[in-house]
Amino acid sequence: MAFEVLMPQLGLTMEEGTVSQWIKHEGDAVKTGDVILEITTDKLTNEVTSEHDGVLLKIVAQEGEDIPVKGLLAYIGQPGEAVGGGAAPAAVPAAPAAQTAPVTAVPAAPAPASANGARIRISPLARKTAAKLGVDYTGIVGSGSSGRITQRDILAAANAPKTAAPAAVEAAAAPAQAAKAGSLELMEGDTVIKLAGMRKVVSQRMWASHNEIPPVTQNIKVDVTALMKFRKMLLAETGKKYSVNDLILKATAKCLRQHPEMLVSLDGDQIIQRAHVNLGMAVALDAGLIVPVIRDADKLSLDALSAAAKDLATRAKENKLGADEYKGSTFTVSNLGMFGIETFTPIINQPDAAILGVCAIHDELDMDDEGKLFKKQVMRLSCTLDHRLLDGSVVAKFEMDLRDLLQSPMSILL
Amino acid sequence: MSKKITVSKAIGEALHEEMVRDDKVFIMGEDMAVMGNVFAITRGFLEEFGPNRVIDTPISEEGFCGMAVGAAMRGMRPVVELMYDDFATVAADPLLNQAAKMRYMSGGQATVPMVLRAPMGAGRRNAGQHSQSLENFFCHFPGLKVIAPCTAKDAKGMLKSAIRDDDPVIVLEHKLLYAKKEEIPEEEYLIPLGQADVKREGKDLTIITWSREVNFSLEAAQTLAAEGIDVEVLDLRSLVPLDWDAIVKSVSKTHNVIIVSEEVKRGSYAGELSAQIAEELFDELDAPVERVCGLNIVPPFSPTLEDENFPHPDTIVKAVKRVLNK
Amino acid sequence: MKTLANKKYSKEQLTDFYRTMVRIRTFEEKAAECFTKGMLAGNIHLSIGQEAAAAGAFAAIQPQDYFTSTHRGHGHAIARGMDPNLCMAELFGKKTGYCQGKGGSMHIADMKKMNHLGANGIVGAGQGISAGSALASKIMGDDAVTVGCFGDSSTNEGTFHENLNMAAAWKLPVVWFIENNCYGVSTEIHRVTNTPDLAPRAAAYDVPFAVVDGTDAVAVYEAMVKAMDHARSGKGPYVVEAKVYRYQGHYCGDPAVYRPDEYMEKALENDAIEKMGKRLMDLGVKAEELEAIRKAADDEMNAAVQFAVDSEYPDPSEAVTDVYSSDNERCVAR
Repeated sequence: MAFEVLMPQLGLTMEEGTVSQWIKHEGDAVKTGDVILEITTDKLTNEVTSEHDGVLLKIVAQEGEDIPVKGLLAYIGQPGEAVGGGAAPAAVPAAPAAQTAPVTAVPAAPAPASANGARIRISPLARKTAAKLGVDYTGIVGSGSSGRITQRDILAAANAPKTAAPAAVEAAAAPAQAAKAGSLELMEGDTVIKLAGMRKVVSQRMWASHNEIPPVTQNIKVDVTALMKFRKMLLAETGKKYSVNDLILKATAKCLRQHPEMLVSLDGDQIIQRAHVNLGMAVALDAGLIVPVIRDADKLSLDALSAAAKDLATRAKENKLGADEYKGSTFTVSNLGMFGIETFTPIINQPDAAILGVCAIHDELDMDDEGKLFKKQVMRLSCTLDHRLLDGSVVAKFEMDLRDLLQSPMSILL
Repeated sequence: MSKKITVSKAIGEALHEEMVRDDKVFIMGEDMAVMGNVFAITRGFLEEFGPNRVIDTPISEEGFCGMAVGAAMRGMRPVVELMYDDFATVAADPLLNQAAKMRYMSGGQATVPMVLRAPMGAGRRNAGQHSQSLENFFCHFPGLKVIAPCTAKDAKGMLKSAIRDDDPVIVLEHKLLYAKKEEIPEEEYLIPLGQADVKREGKDLTIITWSREVNFSLEAAQTLAAEGIDVEVLDLRSLVPLDWDAIVKSVSKTHNVIIVSEEVKRGSYAGELSAQIAEELFDELDAPVERVCGLNIVPPFSPTLEDENFPHPDTIVKAVKRVLNK
Repeated sequence: MKTLANKKYSKEQLTDFYRTMVRIRTFEEKAAECFTKGMLAGNIHLSIGQEAAAAGAFAAIQPQDYFTSTHRGHGHAIARGMDPNLCMAELFGKKTGYCQGKGGSMHIADMKKMNHLGANGIVGAGQGISAGSALASKIMGDDAVTVGCFGDSSTNEGTFHENLNMAAAWKLPVVWFIENNCYGVSTEIHRVTNTPDLAPRAAAYDVPFAVVDGTDAVAVYEAMVKAMDHARSGKGPYVVEAKVYRYQGHYCGDPAVYRPDEYMEKALENDAIEKMGKRLMDLGVKAEELEAIRKAADDEMNAAVQFAVDSEYPDPSEAVTDVYSSDNERCVAR
């Protein structure tokens, strides 16, 4: 009896997933735990591992197909074994989610080439060429009849300048990287791990952001002595323990509401003014990085914001985020303070226009007006801006206001 | 040195040269001797070669095709003409069960070096039993070679090769090509079977075709060139043996293919070629291969109806644009 | 119907007829045995009951002459002097067969040495081929006559009329030899044909003909000698019809239930080998001599079977050879 490989449910809200890549091919031997394919949900790429030893007998769902949760993907069994159950369930075409904007750090689930989300129309030659050049064609709109992707489209994507249409750029980004794969000389003891899954998506996204955006990172020093005292006071008076991060998120959200010029996105030749303060919050995972989003953070109480941050971080680590929980950010905060990092240059989470890096708190000696030395606690904020949209002085004002807010912590809550 | 003669005259020259060269070559068919063929291809032959080698047959297609097989097995090189290729159905057994199979079934003992000239094709308003293009019919049968030249030069050079070939060769001659005057070399020459000819080089799409549709394809190519579409016209000339290398070369360059013939589309040799390209050159294709053929109908009589039933230059232009999505 | 029993033939000549007939029958019986045992693939059509026709006709055919044969052609091959080993091997589908296993029982032919233009599976195909061979002889001016051997049913094919008409019009050196066993598979010829004999159809084309007793090898021989002389002398075609019996059904294993019992009763009364044996004994040939001939034939055909059994099948790779004389590989590839 052959075993069925089914579309897993990754997150409570997941209804279907897209087969992005088969790692194993029909006839390949597989062991329990082997990665057999990659799937993408709305914005997340995941690996599906085998739960059985045997041979990948038959691939039912082809790359690019959308399959409902628990839908049949493949059969694993013994060589020569008949696969059961007759015809595979027809792939259910995905109703494409209305996307406000592609937003998180991890994503890259490309829009299917065909409008109805069915399998991608691509000519055999184009498919071969894409494989050769390492072009991810899933986002390309084809120029052939019936929207078929042709070789010309692939070549155009491979050679697309950085400012080309977003889909083409995203598609072109991966290949340039992938094309390098395999060219390094191995030294003794080296092992080779395939770039796959979340790591691959992070890799592609970061590379794209870094290459597309002219960044400026501006550091500002914040005296957090009062903030730290304030935190203790809150604990004493309310019994609730807020993290420094909670306070910074609250302050940032509040400050952003006063600086709407920070909440913009570049879309081709248009600038989009964002209405909401949706705070992306970078969460480190073993497999990579994900950015869940706190919606309308400026409207949340410290209490609610703290709870939301904690909940999202926890579920992110458990891979239980819903698809819409890691998209739609308008500004992102990345906190490396707990690791003792003094300053850094965070990479913007497209299509945000800026990102705030939060650094470690440490003691510093200062001198008062009377020349007397005293100790204070300081922290640096490293804000990277997209210079296509924002200028240094504009962001400097935002940073100064944020600093002032953090230095007068009571006003954060006012 | 070249001269300008009609296709029918070029065919006549091929027959004449081969009959002079080899006394085993003889001609038989309806109206070939006294009349010298309805297209005047063999006019004067009876006087020159005598009634033993230029034979008027009764209207007994199965009978005289069978005799050609027997004579060929004896080492003669009969060149038989069917007045229309449509009549091949009457002569099906000698052609398809005898000529085609004799060598194989005898374990390689027999050779059947006969040639069957079969005027074919649409456009003469001759209706359903005098207008067919039966490439698929002949190409289906292993043992037969099948050629379908277009130009005067090819018609002559390939007929001479066909006569010298030791296998039965079906020569499909489009009736509407006979009167076309074209340049051919003055001196004697041969064109081997199984060699396609690029009649026009191009980079955007390959038109694979043969016989009269070569001319239509070239016309279409000119129209398309004015619009910036650069098509290659590959004249197969020979259907069996097939110059696959030429197809591979062209398709690997243009990645887009249409196949143009006058055949009934269903079950056509064009379809066979399409299948082979899909099977073996799948990864070279940037669009589905399109067959541009006649309809799945009986060849009609009335001009307005018949014109619907074979590809014209504008049909070809449309097909090319469809495939290229232009 | 002409029957001859004249005395001008020597013991030796008649013994030759006897030997040929016995060899044909023994070959057929051995083939039938192999077929029944499942040693042969396909079908075989036996000529038991038609031995005198083959023996008589081929005695009149000269080495330079050509002939075509039919699906029921083993007897013609043996009578022409072909090697029973290679015939039997072809029945077995072996590489050593005359057609290297590509033709089988219906297509045994030795084209190179025996001027055999093929045994044919299509009824009526030999008419065109034999007439065409005669046309070749006429064009080349050689003195060969081509003999087309057919069964009764082929006279109802269009090719019979088309080719006889042309052969007559062009005075081609061709003789058509019809072995009329009265049955086309299951259909008795007179149920579907309006004349008692078949050869007289030749008269329609002003072609001379003869109808002879096909169980009398001498009668057949004499008719064929006359026919061959006629054709060879440039007078055009000649048709000979030999009345024979088909002891078996259409093919080996056909119980022939469609045939009345009287058919076989008459057949056995007229058995050609019995009749010739009696005639030889009347001439003083001893029973032991005839027995020796039968024994020799038995040994010969047993050896043929053994040869066939011992031979190799063709290599599967040979399936794609010999389709074409030139450019075979490319023509077969696509």
